[in-house]
Amino acid sequence: MLALHFIWYYTLSHLKLKYRYTSLGVVWNFLEPALYLGILSLVFSVVNRMNIQDYVVFLFSALIPWRYLERAVNTASESIVTGDWLLKKMYVSPFVFPVIRWLVAGVEYLFSLIILIFFLLLFKKQWTSHLWIVPLAFIPWAILSLGLGMIGAVLYTFFRDIRQIIQLGLIIIFFTSPILFKPEIFQTASLQARILQWNPVTYYAALFQKPVYYLIWPAATDWIVTIGLSLIIFILGASLIYRYRGKFYFYL
Amino acid sequence: MSMVFNLEKVSVSFERYSVKQRSLKYSVGRLLRNTNNSHFQALNDINLKIEQGENIGLIGRNGAGKSTLLRVLTRVISPQKGKIFINDQLHLVPLLELGIGFHPDLTGRENCYLAGLLMGYSRTVMEEKMEDIIRFSELAEFIDEPVKTYSSGMYARLAFAIATDVRPEVLLVDEVFSVGDEFFIRKCILRMQKLMKAGTTTVFVSHNLDFLVTHCNRLIWLDQGRVVMDGEPTEVALSYRAQQGHF
Repeated sequence: MLALHFIWYYTLSHLKLKYRYTSLGVVWNFLEPALYLGILSLVFSVVNRMNIQDYVVFLFSALIPWRYLERAVNTASESIVTGDWLLKKMYVSPFVFPVIRWLVAGVEYLFSLIILIFFLLLFKKQWTSHLWIVPLAFIPWAILSLGLGMIGAVLYTFFRDIRQIIQLGLIIIFFTSPILFKPEIFQTASLQARILQWNPVTYYAALFQKPVYYLIWPAATDWIVTIGLSLIIFILGASLIYRYRGKFYFYL
Repeated sequence: MSMVFNLEKVSVSFERYSVKQRSLKYSVGRLLRNTNNSHFQALNDINLKIEQGENIGLIGRNGAGKSTLLRVLTRVISPQKGKIFINDQLHLVPLLELGIGFHPDLTGRENCYLAGLLMGYSRTVMEEKMEDIIRFSELAEFIDEPVKTYSSGMYARLAFAIATDVRPEVLLVDEVFSVGDEFFIRKCILRMQKLMKAGTTTVFVSHNLDFLVTHCNRLIWLDQGRVVMDGEPTEVALSYRAQQGHF
């Protein structure tokens, strides 16, 4: 029970620390995603030659969870190494560190959601009951983020080059997934369409894009692929931390 | 008396550190060449039983394995070989290298709560103890400052105050008296004596042999990761001093 209290207290401290030395403080939680999303929608609506109102709804639906995943994975990957101040002084389960970073990213995601709702209120023309599935659609993303974060945390502890490789990998996955552009712009048999089909993020994105933008329910395949893959990655991450838990000290 | 620690044939070795070892290229190369890094044996086949209520001093020259042994007892280091039993029913508080795990950017007060939770004490309990901790560490003016702004003496004072105020059942201390002024060291010793009288099991690592002989009821002499002698403090200290005299 106290371990949970520790995780909770440290997560709150982390959030406080992040904005402790800034003038705008917690306002940055809203401002940063609003500015980022605003700029991106302006630029890519021009590139994709789409109506900005329509494009904003499409883009934001999958970009918000993607940004959450990116942040959770990047910060969780460094978490064991940057947790040396504690790991070298007291016994603490190494699971705690990626979990805390994942929770911090989750809280930031909630702030981004408020921005998303604000933009949707501005630009979304049709509101349907499909939106109710969105909280459930977040679950596979969350499990995947924690799993990847744990894998990253173990690898980064032993190989410091891995951070750049993870960042590069995330960029490649992002640009080969239908988050910035619609899959319909490619011909069915084209290489691009095939890449999209094989990119698992396509299925993760569909969980958000379908109810928010296309106003349909996500398909059974979307759920099966995302939940299955997330669980595999989560189990892999957790077992890696468990297996190497005794070795981290020697690499900090 | 119940067992607190039981170590059977415990060995710990460190890879000799080189900056290159953290790179992927080096690791892949090592794997392909099937070579291993050279190792430093910090603990070698240690057998040790510690019962509740014992006050133990660990002595030995630099690099003898004292701090590593203390880290094994706190579970910070998992030994590569051997079996280890640690009594989970007892509140164990480590004070390694003059500190509990303090996050440099958090304030002294926030670190107290965090350390308390890690040692098994809720925030409410720590809030009750906060006044005592502040008074003992003499940090009233600085308790809401980030600990990265503390001097090493202030840092050690806060750590010692927290570790001893929670009245641990097992206290493991690594060289805590090497910083801090004479007045504070005296305060620390008084508090340690109180804890020992109250039955706290203690394991000290210190180069202050006189302190250990006066306050401990068992002394363990380590050299090159092995137990050279384990027994009555005056006898062990005498042999240790005699051996050191040869150098």
